[in-house]
Amino acid sequence: MIAQGGNAMTGDRKPSAINNAASSKASPKKLNRRKFLAKTGGVLAAGAFGAVPLRGWAADPINIGALYPTTGSMAQIGVGCVAAAKLAVDMVNEAGGIKSLGGAKLNLIVSDVQSDTTVTRTETDRLITGNKLSAIHGCYASALTLIASEVCERAKVPIITGSSSDQLNKGRTYTFTPFARASQFAKAQLQMAKLVSEQAKVAVIFENTAFGTSTSNGLKELAPGEGVEIVMFEPYSAGFTDASPLINKVKASGANTLFSLSYLNDLILIVRTVKQVGLNIAINGGSGGFVMPDFYKNVGNAAEGLQGVAHWNHDVSDDAQKVNVEFKKRTGEFAFEYAGGLVAQTFMLADALERAASADPKKVREALSTLDVSSGFAAMAPGGKVKFGPDGKNVYGRPVGVQWQNTDLVSVFPKEDARAPLMKT
Amino acid sequence: MWETLAQAVINGLLIGGIYALVSIGVTLIFGVVKIVNFAQGEFVMIGMYISFFLATQFGIDPLVSLVVSMPVLFLAGVLIQHFLIRRVLGPNDMPQIFLTFALSLLLLNLSLMLFSANYRTVHTSYSDAAWHIGGLYIPVAKLIAFAVAMALSGLLWVFLHTTDLGRAMRAASQNRDVAMLMGINPNRVFAVAFGTALALAGAAGSLLMPFYSAYPFVGQVFVLMAFVAVVMGTLGNVMGALIASLMMGVAESLGIQFVGADSGLIVVFALLLLTLAFRPSGLGARRGR
Repeated sequence: MIAQGGNAMTGDRKPSAINNAASSKASPKKLNRRKFLAKTGGVLAAGAFGAVPLRGWAADPINIGALYPTTGSMAQIGVGCVAAAKLAVDMVNEAGGIKSLGGAKLNLIVSDVQSDTTVTRTETDRLITGNKLSAIHGCYASALTLIASEVCERAKVPIITGSSSDQLNKGRTYTFTPFARASQFAKAQLQMAKLVSEQAKVAVIFENTAFGTSTSNGLKELAPGEGVEIVMFEPYSAGFTDASPLINKVKASGANTLFSLSYLNDLILIVRTVKQVGLNIAINGGSGGFVMPDFYKNVGNAAEGLQGVAHWNHDVSDDAQKVNVEFKKRTGEFAFEYAGGLVAQTFMLADALERAASADPKKVREALSTLDVSSGFAAMAPGGKVKFGPDGKNVYGRPVGVQWQNTDLVSVFPKEDARAPLMKT
Repeated sequence: MWETLAQAVINGLLIGGIYALVSIGVTLIFGVVKIVNFAQGEFVMIGMYISFFLATQFGIDPLVSLVVSMPVLFLAGVLIQHFLIRRVLGPNDMPQIFLTFALSLLLLNLSLMLFSANYRTVHTSYSDAAWHIGGLYIPVAKLIAFAVAMALSGLLWVFLHTTDLGRAMRAASQNRDVAMLMGINPNRVFAVAFGTALALAGAAGSLLMPFYSAYPFVGQVFVLMAFVAVVMGTLGNVMGALIASLMMGVAESLGIQFVGADSGLIVVFALLLLTLAFRPSGLGARRGR
């Protein structure tokens, strides 16, 4: 524990509160109060000293907070996000850092929000109060991001996020969302269904949770306007043991396209059962777990031809493909939507810092609000342009339709982003 | 119409076989040791992870790994009975309830820590295969699971009715004190019962692996149905649990098919309440134990 205090002194940016709590826990049981105060006081002092920026000839590093669930039920994607965040910071730093600040390097401070909303609130607070941050990115999962963004708004630290919840664009001034919103995803799914068949007959099955119900209602509202007929609209209990009865119903409905608004495990069962039944139907699995490398590993060949939507894909531009190669080198998997999006987000922050010529979070927010890029890694989004409206939404943001083809996730929709034609299986 | 109905019944029976393995374990422990094992689902989960790792590390087919998962869990059951359960067997129920409940939470969180919350699947050649007969289809992996589950249940029945140890277990379940007076060693009988129940859970895990994902919470999905089947089939009655499990599977499937995809459990619990209203001690009560 004392070694950790030493780390704090040498400039390791671990929040001092952690060292403090850990050392008091590790203290021998028989401490009297005076000894306890002396010890914790010492560590506190060491932590405080460590938190003071070391003035020297090199430019001060710029602290970027990263809030991701690296443990708990959402850890799978969270861990991938952290790998991408590190890659992005390395890319910015290797390119010379922030030139207007004397080549200052970005310094990533990662905090685990443990897939838990309460922890997210306290961790965001702790991250902001314990460090001098210029900006934050996180948490990928909408439920967590909504909370983190509230804390950031109050502390006046800008947060840039890949979460798609439309709520993040309501009454917020420090929250920036460079990618497509949830409401745009539903529209893209319906338009893709039209590509498969002129007479699109869609069966919508959704788990009876907040996520499934709200997304499916969005689809139902938009369907008539897109000329898509919904022939089955059925909620199911999440976490079932057997998808066969549900697929039996889909078969009976005569649908030629199936929208499954499900979490990964249910979706795997659904896809396998469709294959077993021998049902010839186009499946759109939406986003989330479906567009992750793991999905193909779990489902295997049966994943071929399955469609989905994403806010980013690794083939949307040449820059994206470069990032994908680097990410693959580090993790062994292709860059999934949140990973690639995070690299773009980091470059957006770098662009803002460059123009702000300051590490002050309020000035970084100002610079983000006037961001307008159409080239480079910062513009690496479907559509290729990023400019934030007053609600923090990228005015050019749009989702990309994807399809599993030959073990790879390929962009197929809209035409401008497509790298391969949509297979009509 | 009859085709849809027949398919729904087939689907229900096949998944009911898996419910049966879990519920027979619960009912065996309750019948003999007289405690409710809340951790039974977690042992199914462990069985799944054993099969998963044997499949991914050594390329062993999940069905073959049955010969590993069953003995490993049998041994685990004997040890748990000897070192944990035995100490809390007494007139007071609360420590027993908390012990198995704590065991469930411990195993759940331990597996979250060790294996993370990721879904793990094993893809075998027969995972997606199905036999088509007329308009009906029968998934191969589930049919194998069902057949093995029924065979194991049959073996257990033979064991309970023809061997001395089996008879001793039945005797202990009917009246522990009298059984002890007849010279039956209750600790030995309890250990075998607990081990057998966990071995069945392990078997369920291995049989599930070709067509279901392993994740730390997976046991909870199956244990709920198991408890319903155990109550419906009369607590402690092995044959009752088996029949009730198959009924639950069919009821759930029919519910999803004809009532609504989110009403499978509604039908199951309605059936349970109806059963309890007319036969308060369950379907297996009249046979005697």
